[in-house]
Amino acid sequence: MSATGESPVRMYHVSKSYMAGQYALHDVSLDVSRGEFLFLTGASGAGKTTLLELIFAAEVPSEGQILVLGRNVARLGAGAIPALRRRVGVVFQDFKLLQERTVEENVRLALDVVGTPRREARSRVFAMLKSVGLQHRRFHHPLSLSGGEQQRVALARALVNEPEILLADEPTGNLDPELTIEIMDLIVKASTRGTTVMVATHDHSLIERYGKRVLRLDAGRIAEDVPSAVPSTGAVS
Amino acid sequence: MNRGLMLILIAFANSLRGIRNAATTSSMAILTIAIVLVLAGAASLLVENMAGVLEEFGAELRLTAYLDDTVPPEDQRHLAQTVAAAPGVDRVVFISKEEALRRFERIAGGDELLAGLDENPLPASLEIHLRPEARTAEGIAILDASLDGLPGIDELAHGQEWIEGYARAVALARTAAGTITIVLGLAALLIVANTIRLALYARRDELEILALVGASRTFVRVPFMLEGTIQGLLGGLIALLVVFGAFELVLPQVRTALELVVGRADLRFFSTAESIRLVLSGAGLGLLGSITALVGGRTA
Repeated sequence: MSATGESPVRMYHVSKSYMAGQYALHDVSLDVSRGEFLFLTGASGAGKTTLLELIFAAEVPSEGQILVLGRNVARLGAGAIPALRRRVGVVFQDFKLLQERTVEENVRLALDVVGTPRREARSRVFAMLKSVGLQHRRFHHPLSLSGGEQQRVALARALVNEPEILLADEPTGNLDPELTIEIMDLIVKASTRGTTVMVATHDHSLIERYGKRVLRLDAGRIAEDVPSAVPSTGAVS
Repeated sequence: MNRGLMLILIAFANSLRGIRNAATTSSMAILTIAIVLVLAGAASLLVENMAGVLEEFGAELRLTAYLDDTVPPEDQRHLAQTVAAAPGVDRVVFISKEEALRRFERIAGGDELLAGLDENPLPASLEIHLRPEARTAEGIAILDASLDGLPGIDELAHGQEWIEGYARAVALARTAAGTITIVLGLAALLIVANTIRLALYARRDELEILALVGASRTFVRVPFMLEGTIQGLLGGLIALLVVFGAFELVLPQVRTALELVVGRADLRFFSTAESIRLVLSGAGLGLLGSITALVGGRTA
């Protein structure tokens, strides 16, 4: 747990370049407070995914420093990355569920990696699935679920470890409008429990609906940082 | 249940799941290890039994020093003591002319063959029994050299050529078995490594997700290592059963043939420790194969 008052995500002049002279992110400085909800937006290729990948240490910055939960990601050894990722939940557009495993097993994966005793894991998975309304589907396989249900499973997996940060990369990109609201409400609910949430999306209707802080990226740079219009821990009905 | 134990159980469950999900490639790896160990095990069994037969020959091996008839009996006994002190000699039995005649008559079934002769033509001799460590071609050569020119010894008879030939055959078989084991072992290693590499490729999505949820490198790798070890263990067990079955099947024929040639044949199967070693070498092959794949592959 990061120290009280310390921002869980801080970026100082961060750049990421995959080819010399071409930046996926350029000179990005950012501070995300504990429990804050932030939308990352921008056109395709603006750097939204790269920014999220830097936070969960899937990438290392080419320049600058990133502090995630007090750890400098740029200097994190390979052995320390798993420990950081257990404190950061991640959700993707394509769900990333294991098709040959049941819903319960998919969610339990996040608990298995830390050796959570089976009985405790089962009860935590059940509670988490209940909170996303899928407890009755726990023995089903992902392919028998709808897109919205699969994303709810992915969300349950990301949250079952009670992470301090939740990152979502276009979590509703594959869903119809009704399911989109359903998933977004669940993500917002997580932020009301104190989890810092960063959602990458190019769906402006979502940004308008929830009125949260918006960081707009353009060609790898921060083009706009609009503060939240509603209190950061307020639930959205 | 503590977390460490839970992690071990999860690793086992994941490795068994891996074997089940990739049943065809896993069966191939198990079969390959089994074939390698059947060949290596059979070769080792053959060599050990050949060496055993050589040992039995060695125990029966004795040299005969025929004595000059002109040597007086008291000097013959003195000569026996000199020979007994020679290198590699365990004990010496003096066979007098009379004893030699009695033995001959016993073998020939009567005295008709020598009936026309005025005197006993058979010489007195020394029956030289060797110590186990001297029952080699080199040992016999050393003894031969030390007895050479000893007054009173007419001729030294032994089956050195035969022993040398057999020892060479055993050494050759041992080298061949070793070479076969190494070559096939390497082949099995590569096949197991490729099987695990295929498994890694087939499960790349799972590896990606495990990395995302914070699985440590050990958590990801151990199930694959267990998978290789379990495959090897199963291959080893199959090999042991096959070698045992083949041994029991051919044993009566080989035993009969050997009894005809050497008089007796105590052929033996692997001891319990050797059997366990065979099975464990399969597990070792599997483990080494998976480590090879993991070192070359990308796991989290």
